[in-house]
Amino acid sequence: MNNRLKVLRAERNWSQADLAQKLEVSRQSVNAIETGKFDPSLPLAFRLAKLFGTTIEAIFLEEGPESG
Amino acid sequence: MFRFFSAMAVYVVLIFLSTWIFRHQHPGGAIAYTIAVLPAIPLLAVLVVVGLYLIEQTDEFEKTVTIQSMLWGIGGTLALSTVLGFLELYVSIPHLPRYFDFAIFWFVVGIATPIVRLRYR
Repeated sequence: MNNRLKVLRAERNWSQADLAQKLEVSRQSVNAIETGKFDPSLPLAFRLAKLFGTTIEAIFLEEGPESG
Repeated sequence: MFRFFSAMAVYVVLIFLSTWIFRHQHPGGAIAYTIAVLPAIPLLAVLVVVGLYLIEQTDEFEKTVTIQSMLWGIGGTLALSTVLGFLELYVSIPHLPRYFDFAIFWFVVGIATPIVRLRYR
């Protein structure tokens, strides 16, 4: 699933390791989510949204024809 | 990791103990069955340790990597066991004792883990 994590991180000048520490997950987890290869669970998505002070929809972008 | 290595340490002790007892004491009856099963107990404990790890692991990505690696382990062990079973049946290759399945499982898990991890990079 596509997402804006890299942009949101860059805006705050956070490294993947910084975000991983704040989420209490491994850096590999952050990388896998960021590259769109691992979809987080709903609770983790909510934690991400809360951390960035935004909504899940503002971070994760729906793929496919409906997204256009 | 401490629990895993503790169980493996107990296994090493029990495998030597059971072998020694059967070689020198020649037990019979229910005692023989009990002593024969002893080395399997820490190996079964390892499965419990892995189960506890999966329950306690809060990082869902790490949990996914472990589960997928273990699925490869189960599949690899079943595949190898099935192939060897038919080879033993029809072309009489040497019999591989069943307890090797446990080692084969962890061997496949060990190979699968970095590959599964690599797929998410």
